[in-house]
Amino acid sequence: MTEANFETDFWKDNELRKTWEQIVPGEPRKTIPYTLTLESIQKYCRVVGDTHPLYFDEAFAKASPYNGLIAPPTIHILLMFACTPADDWMRSPGTVNAGQSWSYNIPARPGDTIRLEARALDKFIRKDRLFVVHDNVFFNQHNQVICSGRGQTIRPA
Amino acid sequence: MTSTTSTFSAGFKLTGTPFSPTRETIREFCEASLDFNPLHLDDEYMKGSFGKTTFGGIIMHGMNNFGVITKMLTDWIYEHGGVQRRLETRWKMPVKPGDTITPSAVVTASKETQGGRWIMLDVLVQNQRGETVALGEAMVEIPRIS
Repeated sequence: MTEANFETDFWKDNELRKTWEQIVPGEPRKTIPYTLTLESIQKYCRVVGDTHPLYFDEAFAKASPYNGLIAPPTIHILLMFACTPADDWMRSPGTVNAGQSWSYNIPARPGDTIRLEARALDKFIRKDRLFVVHDNVFFNQHNQVICSGRGQTIRPA
Repeated sequence: MTSTTSTFSAGFKLTGTPFSPTRETIREFCEASLDFNPLHLDDEYMKGSFGKTTFGGIIMHGMNNFGVITKMLTDWIYEHGGVQRRLETRWKMPVKPGDTITPSAVVTASKETQGGRWIMLDVLVQNQRGETVALGEAMVEIPRIS
């Protein structure tokens, strides 16, 4: 996947996406590897107002314990969509994020090829709303865990 | 970022940089995160009803809170040679263009292990009316230098 060929119209292909009823807890989601660029890291950082030199200043980052530029922990926000195909149910219009928990191991770096292992873990109905719990692990090209996370979304009815 | 005490002990408080989402920052977040859900783009769609919830217009990505909280934590902990290890949040109410959100955190506990020191914090994001928009917990580690 590259940003250039990313389908930004989430209504397109929506009929291909699994509904709450069709989502099977335990079933892996289809994922695609993604090469993280410095440009995409810095674009994300600027949008959230986080311009720490570890993400922007090559000389500073080189002299730090990281020995080079890194991505901020929350780069998984981009990776979640970059590493999944257009028919992934996380794109279903009306998907509402209810909460997330993430654990961080090592930072992602520019040039990393990121791989995602993801699945629905659980689903339930609470206060008349349809919930799915998803769990995700991002790896770099050396099979090192970058981060792992779990989230709850309210599914469109 | 400011702090009210100078230690990592319980009660240490951090306040992060306020963030004021606009329609433009929300659009930019779509492009930077590749999350183009119409919740963040389409006012007409957002006039509809979502079960028991009506938003009335586009809303900021919940994960933008994650980015704002993380900036606060990493600005603090990087200076001490530390690493953000965990963040958990629950979204309590939507954030809309024109709001200003401010993250804060309070150290609740710390634990020494063989490898270093782990610090637990309660995190909170409030809007300009003092309403809680996100609530959660974080954990950072200051590794022991061997």
